[in-house]
Amino acid sequence: MEFLASDQIAIVDLASGEVETEEFSDELCQEKIGGAGINLALYNQHADGDPIVLGAGLFTGSMVPGSCLGVVTAKSPLTGQVAHAPLTQYLGMELKYSGFDYIVIKNAAAAPTMLWVHDGILDVEEAGGLAGLDVWAAVDQVRADKGDDLIQVLGTGPAAASSDLACLMNNYWPSGDRFGLGHALAAKNLKLVAIRGLGLLEIADDEEFVDQCVALQGEVKGGVWAGKKGLLDLAKGMGQDALADWLAPLVHRHRANFNTPFAANSFLFLQGDPSALPEPEEAEMGVLLTDLGAAALFQQMGLELGDAGAILKQCAKLGLDAGLAAKVCLDGGKTDAAAISGALEGLSGPVEGLSGPFSPATPKTAVFGVDQAGDDAWWTRRQAVAHIFGLDPLFVLLAPELSEAKLVELAGIGTELEFSQEGLDAVIAEVCG
Amino acid sequence: MSNPLSAVNAYNRGLARGGAPPPPPALAKARGGRAPRYPRLGVYTGAGSSHSWLWFAESLERLGFYDLRFLDHAEIAAGGLDGLDGLAVSGGDTFAMARALGQPGAKALEGFLAGGGLYLGACAGAYLMLRSSQEPLCWFNFVQATIANLSRDLPQPLMLPEKYKTAYGCDYVFHPVREAVGLSCAPGPLGGEELAAPLYGGPAMIPASEEVEVLARYAAFEKRTKFLAPRDLAAETLLGLAAVLRAPYGRGSLYLFGPHFEHPGFPTANRLLAAAIYADLPERQPERGPEEQAALDGRPAKDWLLSIKRELSNSRIVALGLEDHPARWLIGTKVYEPAKLRVFLEALWDRLRALGKAPALRGPADALEGLPGSLARITVQARALKQGLDAGQDTQPLAEELFPGLVGAASQFMKIYFATALAGLDEDRDGRRLH
Repeated sequence: MEFLASDQIAIVDLASGEVETEEFSDELCQEKIGGAGINLALYNQHADGDPIVLGAGLFTGSMVPGSCLGVVTAKSPLTGQVAHAPLTQYLGMELKYSGFDYIVIKNAAAAPTMLWVHDGILDVEEAGGLAGLDVWAAVDQVRADKGDDLIQVLGTGPAAASSDLACLMNNYWPSGDRFGLGHALAAKNLKLVAIRGLGLLEIADDEEFVDQCVALQGEVKGGVWAGKKGLLDLAKGMGQDALADWLAPLVHRHRANFNTPFAANSFLFLQGDPSALPEPEEAEMGVLLTDLGAAALFQQMGLELGDAGAILKQCAKLGLDAGLAAKVCLDGGKTDAAAISGALEGLSGPVEGLSGPFSPATPKTAVFGVDQAGDDAWWTRRQAVAHIFGLDPLFVLLAPELSEAKLVELAGIGTELEFSQEGLDAVIAEVCG
Repeated sequence: MSNPLSAVNAYNRGLARGGAPPPPPALAKARGGRAPRYPRLGVYTGAGSSHSWLWFAESLERLGFYDLRFLDHAEIAAGGLDGLDGLAVSGGDTFAMARALGQPGAKALEGFLAGGGLYLGACAGAYLMLRSSQEPLCWFNFVQATIANLSRDLPQPLMLPEKYKTAYGCDYVFHPVREAVGLSCAPGPLGGEELAAPLYGGPAMIPASEEVEVLARYAAFEKRTKFLAPRDLAAETLLGLAAVLRAPYGRGSLYLFGPHFEHPGFPTANRLLAAAIYADLPERQPERGPEEQAALDGRPAKDWLLSIKRELSNSRIVALGLEDHPARWLIGTKVYEPAKLRVFLEALWDRLRALGKAPALRGPADALEGLPGSLARITVQARALKQGLDAGQDTQPLAEELFPGLVGAASQFMKIYFATALAGLDEDRDGRRLH
């Protein structure tokens, strides 16, 4: 694959420590397009190694609006089914520029291990020194060891060893994984995957591609979300004004995922005054909310926001999925902050109601008047599109301008390959299971 | 717009393959009807050299000169100039160069020039050869000309104080401007052209002998010229004075360039560099001793390339993270900033892919064997430097280890790269080059 790709797939056998590389062929791209489509094909190809597959979408890291998404495909310890977990913020983009389009991680290592992925090199390294560290300390340690603060870390925390509620962590914060894939990673004795890429992407018809992306940016800017930002506005847009009011006092700032016009992450200050202008000097000021799931449950339990924030921070350090942990606690009758906090270490599933290949971290209710978001079939199809092309899974719900026809057209312009709606339909059907 | 270097490149490639292509007009004029032959050139990479020797490597490559030998001070003193037609010495710390080369190096250069060798010195490489009474510079008094940009009393710099002046006895060598300046060339090897070339601390010169020929003078300031001193002082110091000199020594010749004619961003100046090389190329190719070249192909070559790529990637990731760091290190008389790390690493990284496409890797056995370890040490040192800076520690000792090590590793890499390129040239029927 010459265009919109690095042309390399890595196959890592953790049992032997060996890494093989394969060419990413035009044929594979043409048939499965990218992201979850190719992840699934590689998962099936290497199924005997109980693989975890990391991949970027066809447009990840490009100028297509919302092009932030990386995808992890693996069997969920919670559902027993193959699931596609979204990697938002900057992790998907970094993977795209790392020199590998897809990474298949097979079997299990004998000792704690990490992968160091950089510029088309994949090093399997021992990670004994990281084994006892919480998520935040491990991220800091890896960045210090490798000498770059921009290294993106797909990791796990201490909870991952024993809890099926352990999620994949995106640096310090939870990814959109709701499938317990942190536990699956830990089962392979893999502490984390550190990624840094200084690569470039070639585009087949670069001028046309860029022109179309700029035009598309112009179109999406007038969308239903225009003028809105952060999880407060998202909560309001979902009709949850009380949740928005509950969160508001501690919200400090909002943060968008890579090249995504709508900022869908909000940072809560747990110390200091979020309205104060001077930059705070203290470290660990608060916690980044990457979705509303856990916050909504804690609000429902009647927790103080500060206490809820502290639990979210504790979950982030443990590498525990706060949304699932909140649900398990609620189902188990634990609804006060101290009891929840005390129960987090050692908390595990099962969790009722989880199903389907895509993460419920992306809301399934109508948002900003987009009624279709409440339509399960429509939601699932849009998630498939996001996970195949590498687009923000929330933003595809808000931006109908990112139509399937437009994306198929852009895929052809960007790669010089032929794509069709029929081909896309087939890949969508496959990734939706 | 046509590339002014492509005709020279095509001509040189033809010569290197053993052909006798017609030279481009400018080179034909410079050669004066003498028989063409493909030159073998050295590039100085030893103590005192800054990153600007990479510019020589780049511009010579673009011009199609692939038969290059990269030499440090010890190699020069130990007979490394034998078999070379010319030696290019770029910018850096003149005193450090002179000290490192020492009297053995000066003797080697004297023998090289007396035997007909060609010397191309830019910036520090030019200062080195100008007349001086001070040790160790006085060992290199090969050109009867002096420095014009010398003063005892200077106004405060308008910008970049660390680049403004260097102590020189009781005086200062000072640098009133930086970046592009306008030059006017005399008829002769540089063809009477008007051009721009970048000045980064190079000299304005005053010939002190009729044998010394002024080939170009500082003629004007450009839009891109940055003034470190007031404009009138800059004009008084530079304009009308010699920017390029040619001087004979024994059977050889020296070209001293105040501005960096080898800078890859100035192709017209690069082309004139080629004209200078062909104008004063020794009549006969000096005899070459037997050279031990090793080769790697197949799996060992793949593994070697992977190890080089791994360490270059590791180091450049750190270098990128450090690029905007305000740290500065004074090494010798030169100030180094973190961005310099990347300059070296990118020069290697840019050539790595091309090297990977060669059918076999060639080069001195010690370079092929030593480079992976050298680059692994660079990674460790670069990371330690970053950790030290983050912790607010004194990183001077680390920097003093890292930068020379990086220059050494870059030199090893270039030896392999150009040896591989030259070997590929013989085998390549389509005329495609590594770079």
